[in-house]
Amino acid sequence: MKHLIGRNRLGSALLLLVSLACCTTTTIDEFRQGETGIESYESVVILGRRQASDYETRSEFVKCVGEGMAQGENSISIVPEQEFIDAMFPWFEPRTAPLRTRDLERLMTEAVVADRMTEFGVRYIVWLDGFTETSDRSGSISCVVSPGGAGCFGFGSWEDDATYDARVWDVNSLSDVGTISTDATGQSYLPAFVIPIPLIARVEANACSRLATQLKEFVNGS
Amino acid sequence: MRGRTRTALILMAALYLTACGVSNVVIEGSFPTPNINKLPLTVAVYYDAALREFAYIEYSETGTEEYNIASGQSHIELFGAVLPAMFDGVIVVASIEEAQALGVDAIFAPNIEEFQLALPAKTKLDVFEIWIKYNMRLMTAEGDYIADWVLTSYGKTPTESLRSAEAAINAAAVVALRDLASSFSLSFTEVPEVKDWLNTL
Repeated sequence: MKHLIGRNRLGSALLLLVSLACCTTTTIDEFRQGETGIESYESVVILGRRQASDYETRSEFVKCVGEGMAQGENSISIVPEQEFIDAMFPWFEPRTAPLRTRDLERLMTEAVVADRMTEFGVRYIVWLDGFTETSDRSGSISCVVSPGGAGCFGFGSWEDDATYDARVWDVNSLSDVGTISTDATGQSYLPAFVIPIPLIARVEANACSRLATQLKEFVNGS
Repeated sequence: MRGRTRTALILMAALYLTACGVSNVVIEGSFPTPNINKLPLTVAVYYDAALREFAYIEYSETGTEEYNIASGQSHIELFGAVLPAMFDGVIVVASIEEAQALGVDAIFAPNIEEFQLALPAKTKLDVFEIWIKYNMRLMTAEGDYIADWVLTSYGKTPTESLRSAEAAINAAAVVALRDLASSFSLSFTEVPEVKDWLNTL
């Protein structure tokens, strides 16, 4: 009986750990500066900011947000980031990309840029800026390999924090129509009892899906 | 038992050799054509051996060769994509003398002056960075000086799990080469000596 209680306790502890690991807290902030709306023939391009010296917005995150906006109800046509940057070369490179809407206004006076923008049907440019950081690493895991077998023992944990800002520019009015900020945090665990069992908090994935949903609603004007 | 020992020794030797060898990185990438207005000029381009065979060696803290980065060919490919978008006519020549005989409007000769690599292990930042300093020379068809200016380019790429250091170095170099292409193509007519020369045509 005691044995069974012990097993139940261990099982409960593991379940609690799994549920904790699955917990990611995501905060979304929306700041609207102008009216939005999009026609079916118009599209959105999502671009990562790469001007900071110590980090850059990962293209995988940009792609993830784009895929999220292109799926489901009220889906939006998304121009792939690299395709857009290559077609616009050299105007959207890290050193030459417009930092303010005033710069975009100046850029649109270049016939080549305006023509390409029309070809793509771009109505909104979304600038994504941010990164995912891992902190508070603790614990240790040791692995042993011997002729009799191998195994790992120990416990490790860490916290992930994904902070991203999405600034939306309206290409028609050449104005900043709003900013959506997302901050997701979550704790991951790696208990190892012979075999390491990773219990990973899907911080970046959650930040991506929440941001995509919010951006879709924002652009659609709802 | 002997077989096992032999296998273990071979594995150890292989590991030792891998740990000590220099990693060769040949920069490869695709470079788009710039969307800019063409100048009505025919330019001869001369790539000297130093540029064609340019390679940079990064040394470890113990002084051993760590990475050998060959970027000469990728620079030629880059200029091959950029120059035809900038000028009406572009002719690649094997020597300055050959260019002089062609009667072109100008001769362009790029050169790499400096190459720097910053690895995350050394900078403690989560990015691979590359800086390249160039000397660009523009001469008349007779080989006389028109302009001689310095350009720098910079590229970085974040560290990623499941990506090798070699692949990250290549990615950072491609960003640096694109940076060169964008700054060169957009600033060419703004170089004071080039501007003065264009006004005389």
